[in-house]
Amino acid sequence: MALMPKRVKYRKQQRGRIHGNATRGNYVAFGEYGLQTLEQAWISGRQIEAGRVAATHFLHREGKVYIRIFPNHSYTAKPLETRMGKGKAEIEGWVARVKPGMVMFEIGGAPEEVAKLALSRVAHKMPVKCRLVTRRHSLA
Amino acid sequence: MQKTVTLKSEVRNGRGSKLARKIRASGQVPAVVYGHGKEPASISVDLHDFSEALHHGNRIFETSIGGTPETLLVKDLQYDYLGRKVIHADLVRVDLTETVRVVVAVQTRGKPKTGVVDTLMAKLEVECVVTAIPDRITLLVREMNIGDTVKAGQVQLPEGVTLVSDPEALVLICHEVAELKTTEEIEQEMPAGPEVITERVREEEGEGESAEAAKGKEEKKEKAKD
Repeated sequence: MALMPKRVKYRKQQRGRIHGNATRGNYVAFGEYGLQTLEQAWISGRQIEAGRVAATHFLHREGKVYIRIFPNHSYTAKPLETRMGKGKAEIEGWVARVKPGMVMFEIGGAPEEVAKLALSRVAHKMPVKCRLVTRRHSLA
Repeated sequence: MQKTVTLKSEVRNGRGSKLARKIRASGQVPAVVYGHGKEPASISVDLHDFSEALHHGNRIFETSIGGTPETLLVKDLQYDYLGRKVIHADLVRVDLTETVRVVVAVQTRGKPKTGVVDTLMAKLEVECVVTAIPDRITLLVREMNIGDTVKAGQVQLPEGVTLVSDPEALVLICHEVAELKTTEEIEQEMPAGPEVITERVREEEGEGESAEAAKGKEEKKEKAKD
């Protein structure tokens, strides 16, 4: 299994629903360029890892990759050909829940063309529609 | 150097999110004007003109509020959830000869000799005359090597601009990027599963209870023998 928390309060969680848009983590904070989600979704640990590998391979140590999301939500699934009941199933994986506007990946220290190409490769690994964003040079 | 942009504005009558939503739907941005010991005023400005001026780096505006001409400086901006549209602006009254404290963006130019440059402070707080506010502070990083740093105090500022931020604060740092870890390496570092805090507490409680229970049983046995 790829990314998962080291400590949790409870092993199994309810699935829940994702409401609304991102009010936090919706701007580029660490790097110069970022990948912003336009949809709400569960991003699995494996997908995050695939994105990290795609970006770092492409950058050739020319820039730094920041991952702004973490899979802290577990989900369970019953094995095939199992009768219903007998309690909640075992954990199948861990996911990050993202809302529209959240910046998932950032790249810093790389030239613009390289960073944008690297992020477009990451976007192909994501299960959501994404857009590239640059750091806002705030006036205030 | 800052240019002054003239904006058309309308005084807003009424308050609340419902009215603000209506104003935004009509292509305007709600804004508030305050400062210089005068009464604050709620206004709305054209979104297109305002956004275009901001996009070109302007932050000083001239407008007429209720027939009174005012010079305004952008104090704060709020964006929508995607960071595309301005949804509210805070504008502060200023004189063009007044000294103000503002934040200016830091921009790096060039590629370091070795390593990667990390921008730790993306903006610096400076003090200067309103008309002398720099658009941005550009730092050349061509001569930087791994381990080199730039502190706020070392940044060369334009004439008439003084630094307000902590001069010892790190602005740039040049460092080596760690080698790419493979997925297998990361998986080896990760535990098989997370530690569950509540289970550990339950186990401890369970142990305590079982010890007490054992004591109680022994006492009962002794009593029975007697």
